[in-house]
Amino acid sequence: MLFNSLGFFLFLPLVVAVHAALPTGRRWAWLLVASYVFYASFEPAGALYLAFVTLVVYLCGWGIGRTERRTVRIALLAAGLVIVLGLLVVFKFYDFVASELERAGAAWLAGEAPFALPHLGVTAPVGFSFYAFSAASYLIDVYVGRLAPARHGGHLALYTAFFPKILAGPIERATTFLPQLGESLRAHPEQIVAGAQLIVWGLFKKVVIADNLAPLVDRAFSIAAYATPVDLLVAVYFFAFQIYCDFSGYTDIAIGVALLFGIQLMENFRRPYLSRSTAEFWGNRWHISLAHWFRDYLYFPLGGSRAGQVRRYANLMIVFVISGLWHAGLGYGVGWTFLVWGALNGFYQWVGLAVAPVRRWFAARSPQFAASTPMLVLQVLVTFHLIAVAWVFFRAASVGDAVLILQRIAGGLAQMPALLPRYPFTPEHYLGFGLIAFLVFVEVLDERRSIWKRLAAWPVALRWAAYYAVIFALLFLGRWQAREFIYMQF
Amino acid sequence: MRSILRTALAFAAIGVVLYAAAYYASERLLYRTGDTNPFFKIETAEFEAYDWVILGASHAMPLDFADFNAHMERETGLKIHNLASPGTGPLYNRFVFEHFLRDHRTAGLVYVLDSFAFTSPTWNEERFADAKLLARAPFSLEIAWRMARYSMEEGVDPRAVLDYLTGFSKINNRDRFKSDIWEGEAQFERVHRPSAAATAKRIDYLFPQDAPDQAALARYLGEFAALLDLARRQGVEVAVIKMPVPPRFYEKLPGEAAFDRRLLALPAMRQALFRDFSLAMDEREFYFDTDHLNRTGLTQFFDRYLKAILVGSETAVP
Repeated sequence: MLFNSLGFFLFLPLVVAVHAALPTGRRWAWLLVASYVFYASFEPAGALYLAFVTLVVYLCGWGIGRTERRTVRIALLAAGLVIVLGLLVVFKFYDFVASELERAGAAWLAGEAPFALPHLGVTAPVGFSFYAFSAASYLIDVYVGRLAPARHGGHLALYTAFFPKILAGPIERATTFLPQLGESLRAHPEQIVAGAQLIVWGLFKKVVIADNLAPLVDRAFSIAAYATPVDLLVAVYFFAFQIYCDFSGYTDIAIGVALLFGIQLMENFRRPYLSRSTAEFWGNRWHISLAHWFRDYLYFPLGGSRAGQVRRYANLMIVFVISGLWHAGLGYGVGWTFLVWGALNGFYQWVGLAVAPVRRWFAARSPQFAASTPMLVLQVLVTFHLIAVAWVFFRAASVGDAVLILQRIAGGLAQMPALLPRYPFTPEHYLGFGLIAFLVFVEVLDERRSIWKRLAAWPVALRWAAYYAVIFALLFLGRWQAREFIYMQF
Repeated sequence: MRSILRTALAFAAIGVVLYAAAYYASERLLYRTGDTNPFFKIETAEFEAYDWVILGASHAMPLDFADFNAHMERETGLKIHNLASPGTGPLYNRFVFEHFLRDHRTAGLVYVLDSFAFTSPTWNEERFADAKLLARAPFSLEIAWRMARYSMEEGVDPRAVLDYLTGFSKINNRDRFKSDIWEGEAQFERVHRPSAAATAKRIDYLFPQDAPDQAALARYLGEFAALLDLARRQGVEVAVIKMPVPPRFYEKLPGEAAFDRRLLALPAMRQALFRDFSLAMDEREFYFDTDHLNRTGLTQFFDRYLKAILVGSETAVP
């Protein structure tokens, strides 16, 4: 029951209607039932994993709250994290590592595999990467005293299972989610309007933009060795917007759906391609809930930026490499590409840190020029291209393919002015470019002043015309063959 | 809350009106760009009565590529209506034939038979939900009602019925301004260069299961028998043929001999003329791809075999 499927369009109004009709005290229970039904619609056995993870964190959290003995508390925390995150690691990497070891053994003995390791041959339930992190954050928050252990097991179960966020986040914190369940869970009219707006806009980003770019991206990346430099260049640009619209579209829908139940989920994207540095991109604009998770539960405990320069650099690289590994399995299999992708983004942070004094010196010497529009645009463009280069490793089938793609584009750059006019652009290309231009236009407006506030200030006729335009774009241009969201495929 | 409900209702009402306008425009556009879809062909049929109707999957479609149907009509002096559509099995074809018989008549039915179409719901129930087919099918309450019945009795996905009723695939049709011509028609004049890899890929596509699904085979043979019975009840003469395919393609067809035995064991087949031309034409220059006849091949096939069947001669045995 994907967000872009007919099943979900029938499921959601039913859940909202029953939710609204129920007395306040029963609403959480209804949402829990609906969440398990939604989740089981992908794979019934997945609901068992979900229940198991919930039970583990409930019991460990309860135990941590019951005792003052440090060793017991640490043991319970470790047990909970090892079970939840250990399962995640096993699901993601066991088969991959086993295959790599077998291959390394075979290469060492020039062809003959010296051993055959057992393979699990299973994939984790959808969304496991996300709810495992939510569960882990709950345990850590209870351990450090940021949060009292949940007394209400049902509320905790809803926290891990809440259907709008379970497949691909946001990776919500229990500190903000659980208190909302103690309230009426009634959506105000403003929340309903905002929720509907976000659902439609999220669908537009997913079904119209991301899914119209996807075929062109898939084609070029699948024949990297035979595609022309223009094919590859276009595919790299298109993929940057495909993955953004796919993932942020999902998040918009998730936040919008949650609002229909009076629940506010955290913001996960803030116009990331308008970032002026890769640090800004990863810190405050792209997949914010994951970035903050790594910041709070990994970077800070490692010492963050307060443990000396060398440790700071090392900590950054550790965080980005682990973040890269976390992304393995999201849409494009498990491979070394994600390690390289994480390390490359870590390297960007190193360079950003190293040149920070120069930027500060420059900003102090020429504040007007440093803050000028051309400079701003230049920073945004440089950041976007650095991120786009990194995405090649995320999307390519192998590190070799990614390097080949970048080499072929780099090799063809000098001839681009001659190649581009002769390239047989199709109507699909023009549609893709048009949609990207529209998205950038909207995001630039949104960056200056919220697009929703702008819309609210418009006359009703104009506002409704805008709504109908987006809705009918979904009908006329959307690809509705229920293509999965990239980030929910693990 | 009451005010927001009123606003929502007004918004939805305007939306419905706009949707209806989009639906109407899509339906009109369909009549300008329609061509291959069997329901479009039935809706826009020139005559009420035909001498022959042709049903089947893609192997039957070249018989209506370019001017070939007109050529056959000229050569035989008969009225022929080709209602084949790609990847469709006996269930889908029975549906088409039932719809055709509602307002039209035919003296004969040529069913171009492919074993793959009897092996999986992919080529039967699931074809009803194919957006490409739905996008080109004109609206008719009779089709909607029949689809609803097939949904209840034959396992067609109710979402296909909903799609047809709401016209969603028509409004959402990405090729709305393009003529509804099957991609194979553009290659009709070409000569295929044989490729083992292409043949293997094509066989994998047609037979996605590793082993033939015996339950599915039994079910779709039953559907085919129902189609033959329907023709018999209507007094329609039936010719079941298997079109020529290259030997390298035929060799790869899984369980073809066993399929033929089960087909011929059907009591309903006793009333029908059956001709297997699978290995009748092995020249490479007769095919435009791995298994479809090009113009040269089809002309030869028509002259050597099909014409005799259509005009009722008994010299049709290859």
